[in-house]
Amino acid sequence: MKPIDRAASSAQPLPMPLILLTALAVHLPLLLMKLPLKSYDTNFHIFFASHYLHHWFNPWNSKWYAGFSQATYPPLPQQWIAVLSHVLGLEMGYMAVQMAAILLLVVGVYRFSLLWVSPRAASFAALASVFLGSESFLVYSAGQLATTSAAPIYLNALPYLFEWVRYGRPRAFLKAAILFTAAAAAHHATLLFGSFFFAVPVLALVVMDARSASSEKSTGMGAVAARTIGIVVVVSAAIALVLLPFWIALIHYPVTQTPIPHASRANYILSPQWGLNYFVIPYGALILAIPFIIWRGSIQPRLRPLLLGFWFAFLVGLGGTTPVAHLLLGRAFEVITMERFSYWATLLALPFVGLLAAELIARFRTPALISLMVLAAFTCGFGVAWSTYRPADAESFRVDSAAAWLNRDGHDRYRYVTLGFGNKISRLAVLTDASSVDGEWNSGRLLPELTQNGAGALTSSKYFGAGGMKALRAILRHADHYGLKWVLVHDPSYDPLLTFAGWRPVDDLEDRTIVIWSKDGVPPAQPIPSPQKPPHWQGILWGTLPFGSSLLAILIVLIPDGRHDEEDDSSGAVGQPLVAGTVLS
Amino acid sequence: MKRGALLALVLAALTVLFIAIGTLHPNASARFFAGGEGLLSSASTPEAAARKLGSEIELRAWQRAYNSLGNKAQFTEQEFFHDITGYHESLRTYATLESYEVFPQHATASDADVQLQLHWSTVVGSFTDTRNLHLVRNGDRWVVDWPLVRSKVVPPQVIAVNYLRWDVIYRGAGDDWGIQDVEAPHVRIVDMHPVQRAAGVVILGELLNEDIVPAYVSVRATLQKKDGTPIASEGSFDKISHILLPKQVTPFLISFPNQTLADVGSIRMEPISALVSASADPVIEIQNQQLHPIPDPALTGQLENQSGQIVNVAHIITSFYNQTGQVVWIADQYTNRALMPQTPVPFRIPIPEDLAHSISSERTVVATYRARGVE
Repeated sequence: MKPIDRAASSAQPLPMPLILLTALAVHLPLLLMKLPLKSYDTNFHIFFASHYLHHWFNPWNSKWYAGFSQATYPPLPQQWIAVLSHVLGLEMGYMAVQMAAILLLVVGVYRFSLLWVSPRAASFAALASVFLGSESFLVYSAGQLATTSAAPIYLNALPYLFEWVRYGRPRAFLKAAILFTAAAAAHHATLLFGSFFFAVPVLALVVMDARSASSEKSTGMGAVAARTIGIVVVVSAAIALVLLPFWIALIHYPVTQTPIPHASRANYILSPQWGLNYFVIPYGALILAIPFIIWRGSIQPRLRPLLLGFWFAFLVGLGGTTPVAHLLLGRAFEVITMERFSYWATLLALPFVGLLAAELIARFRTPALISLMVLAAFTCGFGVAWSTYRPADAESFRVDSAAAWLNRDGHDRYRYVTLGFGNKISRLAVLTDASSVDGEWNSGRLLPELTQNGAGALTSSKYFGAGGMKALRAILRHADHYGLKWVLVHDPSYDPLLTFAGWRPVDDLEDRTIVIWSKDGVPPAQPIPSPQKPPHWQGILWGTLPFGSSLLAILIVLIPDGRHDEEDDSSGAVGQPLVAGTVLS
Repeated sequence: MKRGALLALVLAALTVLFIAIGTLHPNASARFFAGGEGLLSSASTPEAAARKLGSEIELRAWQRAYNSLGNKAQFTEQEFFHDITGYHESLRTYATLESYEVFPQHATASDADVQLQLHWSTVVGSFTDTRNLHLVRNGDRWVVDWPLVRSKVVPPQVIAVNYLRWDVIYRGAGDDWGIQDVEAPHVRIVDMHPVQRAAGVVILGELLNEDIVPAYVSVRATLQKKDGTPIASEGSFDKISHILLPKQVTPFLISFPNQTLADVGSIRMEPISALVSASADPVIEIQNQQLHPIPDPALTGQLENQSGQIVNVAHIITSFYNQTGQVVWIADQYTNRALMPQTPVPFRIPIPEDLAHSISSERTVVATYRARGVE
């Protein structure tokens, strides 16, 4: 170890309560202001949560796509919102869950970083997670609650994975297994891809440490392999059971619809506006640390697995800027969005950032501290403010009056579709009793008019070009079949189509900015038979196991770990692994 | 240390290499968001220059596109913008450029002619805007002379308005007159017959408003098997003129994709009518209609808006008849430019080649749309 490393590691880590208080000080006011409501997906999660609030054991939601199964999306954060909403209401319930995820991230980053760097560097990494641009971007601009709540759980599971595979401790096995399962219940993709970007480096670290340990404490490769296989089998089985309705839906109805363009797949050099959105804002000042990450990660053998995990996530997160994402993901490249890979890359970069910060502060003291604080503030500030500079909806308007209109005079006996509402359709769906043929969860829809044309939500049809207009025309053509009587229009560019297709304006709202069009002779909406509708037993599983896994995780993780002599043997920077129970207490 | 430095070097080099590959040869998604072009796009050939212009139009980079033109001194950027997106609100205004094609016509060392076909997507379908570009060599680059279509300016004048208009007092939103004890206008299908086309079964027909009040009309058809069980049900959607004044006739066409006429035992037709307010204004006169025979069968003509207000979109629907007066085909087209008062706008409706020989006459109706707030 170099002298500078010793100097850095000899200093005390920042106290965890102080870091958690910093996270509260930064994010709590923003969440109390309900800033995430301006994001792309927040209302989507609240809409799902509102369904769980009223139909906990029935994942069939008839408000979108003339009926779709919410078992097509892991339910944990949304179910927690539903539970908390009994006290806080849906919106504040969302904010509470998001705040909990941010606090868990601080703990998770600290614990994960301890595997790689000194406690002091790990504490700086945890502090950096509070100001992480990608976290702010996902929370306040993208509203990706599932990703931002699954990742912290996953990060908290990884040290237990290390402990189990390295030392064979049964308690670590139990905690790792239940945390991985809970993480999957929050977001399956995090677990799937996290296994490659996060777990494989941790397992490589186990192998490296096992080889370098003294002979009496070394672990045979056979034991490492057996423990790895053991936990993979158990976790796979647990996830298969906890998310069984999800897997059944995925197997019966794989996502085969025509891919929908998403700007995270752009080349960020050829399309610099998307480079700003998906690279500069999420990474922020972390961009300056990339040369350090590559250099330090390369020259220190123990950090190489982490470096490679970061590097692959970084390349995939660049979307279409490199061919890597397309090569590694295949068709999935056209289905999933890339910003989550940048998020994971930044999480993997945090141990390096902590190391860099510790060394800079050890060497330059106050100037380094001030510089790092300024960079962190700007990174977080731009991430938070990005939803204002580039709002999810170009135009802000209220949908309460539209919901009230749909809810009165029997209008909700028919289905509706909106045009020009952007992601406000989730908000509208929460407020109204009426059912729509549109929605924002593309992977859950089965209506052929929507799946065959390569377009997203009907309300934004024109932005999907000919495919979007084909989908809209197809659904309007079958208005009678779906009981689709109302079209709520907030964008007059759709008026010619409605006029020539035989619809007529019947009312207007919000100072004539929303016009309601109607079609005569449409029969009231009837349930559309769907083979995707989950049977009752699946509803019971869906309402029990995912949420139950999180309760179990809380209980089991709070069991204190015993004292372990082996903790001191690792040749790297692992000092005093932090137990979640002690942190939270 | 040496191995570590080598690893750092390899990772850095690979990162740069991957970015270079992704930028010089972008994949389909990246190309889509970059407007169909990679970093190597240039104006080094006439075709490349035309493609670059098409890409800039696709990205709506009007200033960049205008600045690249060789004859930009002849018109302003605003005129260029309005030439493409329409001088008044029309289908062009909100159209999205779906794709473009470049066809070389003629080239010498110093100048070239290229046809640029812009394929636009609109809310009512797609249309193609064909521009014949002249390009001139300027050093190692080619620059485009844009063939600007100027808006015709109508001289100030007073147009007397004298037309019939029917108003209806509604009781509220969603008031379906047809189901609320208000007698629907009397309408009748005066012609109907199914034909088998490559895409499926098509039902052609005409509907007459026999009443003395205007009617909102629509037609629904259900194909039935020989035992009477329904096969499929479809409506006329936009292949009909939905507002019929008294005694007016509209063609209608109902498509059943992927159906076979041989499977059909009977067809149930349901004409739907409801009382609506309507007016005879704007009056659109159809002039100089002409049927063109094979090899390029089509109906051409001109629309002239005889009212004093702008018509933002016009929908032309034509019934084609054989010598016995039976409808043999129905076709339609939307105008992509607004109809200015007293200004003829040409139209051209293609006719399927296999039907062209049997067509001897036609009847055309025009439905119109005026943007909100115009009235």
